[in-house]
Order: sequence, then C-alpha cells, then structure tokens
Amino acid sequence: MSVTDFPELPWMWAGLAAYMGATVMAFRGVITMENIGALSAPSRINQQVVLACIVIGIVLLTISLGVRWDRLGHGPFVNLFELLISQLWSLGLIYALVYWRVPALRASAVVVMPLIWILGTWVLFIEPADSRFPPTYSNNWLWAHVGFGKVFLTFCLVAAGLAGIILLRSLPLARDWFRGMSTELLDQMAWRFMILVLVFDSLMLIAGAVWAQDAWGRYWAWDALETSSFMTWLSIGAAIHVRMTYKLDPRIGALTILAIFGLAFVTYFGAPFYSQAAHKGVI
Amino acid sequence: MRWLRRLASTRLTLVGMVLLAIGAGLSYDNPEHMPVWVLATPMALLALNLSAAIVVYPAIYRNPGLLVFHLGLLGICVLAAIGRLTHYEAHVEMSKGQIFATEAANDVRHGPLHMGDLDSVRFVQGPWTVDYTSRLTRGPTRSHVLVPDEQEGWQEIIVGDDTPMILEGFRFYTTFNKGFAAVLTWIPDEGEAVTGTIHMPSFPLFDYKQSNSWQPPGGQEIKFWLRLQTAYDIDGSWTLDGKTSSAKLVVNTGEERHELDPGQAVPMEGGQLRFDELTTWMGYRIFYDPTLFGLFISSMLSVLGLCLHYWRKFAHKPLATEVLYGRDNVSAPGVTHKTDADAPVQANQRNTVHL
Repeated sequence: MSVTDFPELPWMWAGLAAYMGATVMAFRGVITMENIGALSAPSRINQQVVLACIVIGIVLLTISLGVRWDRLGHGPFVNLFELLISQLWSLGLIYALVYWRVPALRASAVVVMPLIWILGTWVLFIEPADSRFPPTYSNNWLWAHVGFGKVFLTFCLVAAGLAGIILLRSLPLARDWFRGMSTELLDQMAWRFMILVLVFDSLMLIAGAVWAQDAWGRYWAWDALETSSFMTWLSIGAAIHVRMTYKLDPRIGALTILAIFGLAFVTYFGAPFYSQAAHKGVI
Repeated sequence: MRWLRRLASTRLTLVGMVLLAIGAGLSYDNPEHMPVWVLATPMALLALNLSAAIVVYPAIYRNPGLLVFHLGLLGICVLAAIGRLTHYEAHVEMSKGQIFATEAANDVRHGPLHMGDLDSVRFVQGPWTVDYTSRLTRGPTRSHVLVPDEQEGWQEIIVGDDTPMILEGFRFYTTFNKGFAAVLTWIPDEGEAVTGTIHMPSFPLFDYKQSNSWQPPGGQEIKFWLRLQTAYDIDGSWTLDGKTSSAKLVVNTGEERHELDPGQAVPMEGGQLRFDELTTWMGYRIFYDPTLFGLFISSMLSVLGLCLHYWRKFAHKPLATEVLYGRDNVSAPGVTHKTDADAPVQANQRNTVHL
C-alpha cells in the first residue's frame, strides 16, 4: 500500500486528523464547561472549533473521495474501504449540518465523534483496493438508495449521541458534563430523531427495492443486507410503538436507541463479513 | 367489540413484528426453501392487527397522516400477498434469430392465481455484446432485440443489466448466463433435413468446457466441442461479440473425430451432419408481478403519511435549544434567540414535546 498507488490516502489521513481534532475538542468542551447560572455547557469558542474541525475534515475527505473517483472512474459504492470512507464523509457532513443548525445537540459530539471514529480507525486498517463498478450500479435509484441511507444512518447516530448523553450522565466521571440538561427532554429529542430515522430508513428500503427490481429482476430476495436492514426497520418500528404505548424509562429508551444504532451499524458494515457480496448481483 | 380491540392492540403488533423478524431471519438467503407460512402468518396477523387498529383507534382514523400511513402499510401487506399469488418467474435461453415461445421457458415458478399472458409475448433475439475488463470483470451487456411496434412491424431495442425489456407486464432481464451455439443441420439418408442449435455452456464462465452432446434419431450420441477464437483477454479489456468470434466444431462419435468449419458436413451413421454456422445465445430471467407499481405507490404513501403526521405534530415545536436547557430561565451558549425581546424562552413553555 503506497501513496503513489493510492493518492487519495494522504487526504483521507488529513481528514481523519481533523475529525480527531473535533473529537478532542468536544471532550475538552464538556470537561471544561462554562457555568452559566444552573447550567453548564461547552464555550461558544469551543463549539466553533469543533464545528470548524468537522468542516475541515469533510473538505479533506471530499478531496480524498474526488481523487479516488477520478482515478477509478466511479463513486465509492463497491468495496468496504469505499463504504467506510464514504460514510465518514456523509456522517461528518450531515452531523455538521445538525450541529450547526441545532445548537442544543452540540454536547452529543462527545458520543457522536467517537462513534464516527470507530469507522475512522477501521478504515486505517483496510487495504484501499481498487474496485470494479458493476454494470447494475449504473442506475439513478442507486443514488437515491445511498443518499437516503446516509441520512438515515446519520440521524440514527444523532439519536445515539443523545441516548449516549442520557447514559453517560449517570456515570460518576461524566456527571458534571451535562449539568442543566433535562433527561426527559433529551429523551424526547432522541426519539424525535428516531422518527426521522424511520422515515429515511423506509425511503432507503423503497429506493433500494426499486433499484433491485431494475438491477437484478427482484425487489426483495432476503440477501444479507436486505434481511439485516429489514430487521433494523422492524426494530425501529417496534421501538417507536413501545415508546408511544408504554412509559419507557429514559435509560431503557437510550439503551434501545443504541441497540438499534448497533443493528444499523452491523447492517451497513457487517454484511461484507457474512456475505460474499453486499448485494446479490454485484459479481 | 372487545375482540376487535384485542385484535387492534399494540401488544399484538409487537408479537407480529417479532414473528415477522423470526420469519425474516429464517428466510435469509434461503427464501425458496422456506415454507410460505413462515412469512405469511406474521404478515396476515399484522394485516389483521392494522385493519382493526384503523377501525378502533380514533387517534388513527381521525388523523389523516396516521391514517394514510397505516393504510399504506396495510396496502403493502395485501399487495405483497397478491404479488406472491400471481407472480411468475422463469428462465429462457434465446438463440440469435429465435422467436420467443412460452415453451422455451424453463425453471418456471408461479403463484396459484397467475393470470399473465406469456403466450402473447413476441420478440426476436438479435446479436449481443458484453464488455469485460481485466480478470473477467463483466461490464455492460447490450442485447439487441426486435419487438413488435405499433404499425405491426418490428422495432429494435437494446436491453441489458438494469434495463429490462417489458412486454405484456413480463420483464425480461439479461443474465450472466450467455454463450455460443452451433447451428447444425441433420440430413438423414431418408426424410427431411432438420436444423437446430446446440447451446454450449455459458461463456466465458465455462470457457474451458465448450462442449455438449446430441443424439440424432436412430443414431448414436455425438459429442461436440467448440474450439473458439474470441477476443478473450484475461488481463485486458475486451468485448465478447458473436460477430467477431469464430470457431471450429470438433465432432466426436466415439470412433471418429472431425473438425468442421462453418458450412462443412460430416457423414455419419444414418445421415450427414452439417455445421451451418456459429451463433450466440442469451439467457434471460423472466419476472412478472402485477403489484409492483401498487407496492411502490403504497409504500410512498405510507412514508408521506408518516411525514405529514409528524410535520403537523412538530412543526410548531422546532428543535430549539431551550428544549434541552429548559428548566432555567437561561439560554445555552452559542444560541441566538429570535424572540421579540431577544430573550431566552421559558422552559415550561417549551417543555411539552411529545413523541
């Protein structure tokens, strides 16, 4: 693996370094909270630095993806390396938008950024092998499927971030990090994102089914990804039903959201381990 | 009406979802060999549960968004069932110049209520090409097909990969299964000559065994092997194209071995065998499901209903900072308020966000 063969790597490393900067600054922000009355929150400067680091990371990852796209002639849709780098880019991009537009959620960066960094660490250990673009991928519905999927996973990540705060604040170490925040409202906010997760997961499945019908002559065939993503959709639907029907303790709710995020994570990134191809028909 | 309320209960919904998840898990990678009831039972249970919930709960039937969402889900369940009852799937191998006939379809599977009219499907297979890059990575497939036009003539269309040919609701997809065929004419010592094709195994998947056999009427089995000349290049880019390929047909009767060029014939017991020409065949997957469009509409309506419901519910309760930092009359850092007095908003005014 050399930089000459894979010129996108230095840009990717730089992007990951920027994400690491955002992660460190997010933790620094909650550890050195500013007290304002009964509240505590990261300073405004700290929030701006975190956002700036994420944006720089997105720009660098965009260049990395662009260089690879130009070199191979196709987008990052095929192998695990491409899947990871593309998700690092989209998770950062959509989370940056949420971070920018919804300041109330900014503390979630201490959970969200380490979760993103799971992918960041993983991609460093993967051979950035060149991939071949299957002819069945030249379909506009692929873009819709991938696009909705990226929004779905990021909103799931945001909900997991809020759920993580609910759980973290019960730990002695982090008790003071989120002082002044209402657990009940964090819980409500997290579940509001889960509604968006359900919407975009549904759209992802619909677009994927239309694409599969065109590409492989069937809209559903219970392959590894389809089965796993259907399980995820069912679990989101079931969790929302439970949340609406029963009085769910916020910590149980938070664990449920994290479990769903885990399932979505396995759907995205686990399928290559138990399936020869992410979708049938790739080869 | 107690039974209807029980049927509509959320607890039953959850039971149905768990059963459906189990059914999905059992169907993983093996739906063909799973009994239908594994998925049909939880789907039927959920459909009944949904129907009852729509009738029983005012929160659903009085709320347009939720009503559309649940009706959409019900529609998906019903249409998926109809789809399985009326579907048709098959494979067909079409030689160049061959007119499609229903009898050519093999590996046929269809629902008990299938009513599609495959007999009225007409098309003529033309030539095709497939691009390859190094290590035999398959690129675009372009299959030329003649289909009836509106003036009772024929028009040529090109299908392949994610562009199926749709005729009378039947969708024909090209597959990786395609290859070469030998057009042979059997000229018996007595009687009329018969012309047909012998399909060789898929190419280039089985490039190492381009062989097949045939037994003429009253004769002994003849083994064929095609010695092909194509653009095949394991390390580079090339196009598989019948027009630029040639072959010698090796004919083996067990006692004698002959190599034939196109147009050459060989005498055999009971007649003569002539190798007319080298041609190609394309394997298609046939798929028919009259509910596809309905499923798409139903699922989109379902999502739109959900969006409508939550838009109406949350539109006046934006994701404001005060929601989180709400208990005190203080705003969180980094937030600019846009109230008239540019003042923080009271928590108790915002503290009513419900899912």
